[in-house]
Amino acid sequence: MKLIHISKTFFPGSSKEVKALTDINLTFEKGEFTTLSGESGSGKTTLLNIIGGLERPTEGKIFFDGLELTALSDEQMADFRLHHMGFIFQAYNLISVLTVRENIGFIMKLLDYREDEINNRINELASVLQIENILDNLPGQISGGQQQRVAVARAVASKPKLILADEPTANLDSKNSQRLMEMLRALNEKEQVTVIFASHDKYVLAESKRTIVLDDGAVIEDR
Amino acid sequence: MYKIAGQLAWKSLMRRKTRTWMVITMIAMSLSGLLLLQGIYDGMVSHMINTAIRSDSGEISLYASKYRLEKNLDYRIGNLEDIKKYLDKQNMIDAYVIRLAQEGLAATAHKSLGAILKGISLEDERRFGNFDTFLSQGEYSFGDKDREALVGFKLAEKLKATLGSRLIFTAQDANGEINAIAFRIKGIVKTGGLAIDEGSIFISMEKMAEFLSLSGAATQIALRIKNESKIKNVQNALQREFESIDVLRWDELYPLLIQMREMMDVFNMVSYMIVFTIAALGIFGVILVSILERVREFSIMLAIGTPYQNIRHQIVTEAFIMSLFGYVLGAFSGGILLLYTASSGIDFRYFEAGLESFGLNAVLYADIRGYYFLQAFGAVFFATLLSVLWPLRVLKKIKPIEAIQGKML
Repeated sequence: MKLIHISKTFFPGSSKEVKALTDINLTFEKGEFTTLSGESGSGKTTLLNIIGGLERPTEGKIFFDGLELTALSDEQMADFRLHHMGFIFQAYNLISVLTVRENIGFIMKLLDYREDEINNRINELASVLQIENILDNLPGQISGGQQQRVAVARAVASKPKLILADEPTANLDSKNSQRLMEMLRALNEKEQVTVIFASHDKYVLAESKRTIVLDDGAVIEDR
Repeated sequence: MYKIAGQLAWKSLMRRKTRTWMVITMIAMSLSGLLLLQGIYDGMVSHMINTAIRSDSGEISLYASKYRLEKNLDYRIGNLEDIKKYLDKQNMIDAYVIRLAQEGLAATAHKSLGAILKGISLEDERRFGNFDTFLSQGEYSFGDKDREALVGFKLAEKLKATLGSRLIFTAQDANGEINAIAFRIKGIVKTGGLAIDEGSIFISMEKMAEFLSLSGAATQIALRIKNESKIKNVQNALQREFESIDVLRWDELYPLLIQMREMMDVFNMVSYMIVFTIAALGIFGVILVSILERVREFSIMLAIGTPYQNIRHQIVTEAFIMSLFGYVLGAFSGGILLLYTASSGIDFRYFEAGLESFGLNAVLYADIRGYYFLQAFGAVFFATLLSVLWPLRVLKKIKPIEAIQGKML
């Protein structure tokens, strides 16, 4: 994935104008386990949202396997996300009326996977993420740590090429944060999925293979 | 995709059971009330038409030409035997009655009023339209010597006459002479037909012929037709056969009833619009609130790649599931109400005077017609469709990132 001269300005031309990102140029290779880091307001979440197509950059282009994502319409981008991206949000954001099993299999169902394929994948992920015993529970009946693991399972279930995770450990205690990162790392290594985090959590940073530090909307460090 | 949308819709409805049942109940109650109202409206008009046919016009009536313009005995049906022979041969004619009427003055010791004296055969009238069922007091009889009469109940009230009261009727006979006839009231009839209840006195045909010095003649021959769809054919055949006689259908004789039926159709339509606007607003409110409550959830779904169409299907399915349940429940309870009202009626005794002035009884019976349920289904379907349009517009405007970041919440 290539980001070329990406800039983002909120409320351009008005008195509230905010320059969130300035001339970002980055390349992500397949299988990377990268964290976008920085203080609050540094632009890491905005950059993650732009990579995921949830926000449009004011300037610049994004290419994924040669496809210009910034040229896609909203519908095409939604379809691209469905087929190639997985999302993990800070607040878990599971579908409240579906059971854990149904939440994990949701994307696969949208992608018309066969029932047996879905079930096998759910069982496989449940085993890796240690959530086998809560598969028939509703999200409201399980803990935050469990919900975030379910969100991870949902994000990786259809084996997307890219997983974007925004502050996935922000609402977890240290033990659950560490456990989640170990699991994500294991999935990254096992399934060669590219993972990009937006976080300043020490556990996330500790597990990352690459850290990109942003400050005031610009990349100040890439190690 | 539809399967997932359906599953999500069902689960969402089940998650909010109280609200779901409230909407279903609201639709069901509106619908059953509406069905009942429609049945009663139609029942009222049917009752009036039925009464007019049974007590007076039949499906077809024959009059001498000009008689209806000027109620003069000179314009009477004279070739009665020929007509009777013809009618007896027609297998589409179920029954017929011959009546001889003359306008005049009815008087009691207290009061005198203009009225119509009608010579009839009680037995023929019973066969023709169960005229005996209109009897509200006394006996269905003209007495042993045909010296007694049946009187419309309003006329009796106005004349301050009761059973056994003596009445004197004065009128011009066929020779232009003024004659008077006296009789006692044997029975009082209440048909619901204003012309009869307010101004008719019935005596035997023989007595009437004697009073008017006229035999073998009639002022009206009313026919009952076996098959409603053949009324026009019978009318045309009769008109061809008896060119000098006016052959008129009940709807030509009672255009007001047709207007009333059309008016009731308008009432029904207006009621439908009011009730279903309310129902649509109810569904709209619930769907809108349920969307606003779940903006974040829908945003997440959109963010992770769920196509907008999928969420739209879910919302529309939720609305239609509620409507379908509401319809089934409403049609069922409305059907039961209609069945009950059709057989036992609803007693509006408190409004008896008002209803009587419209020619209706205090107990109103409903009609039941299959198309009520089809119309209601169409109305529920349409109301549901309308009620989800705006919420879907709201949904379409959702920007996932804003909801996820809490800007829309």
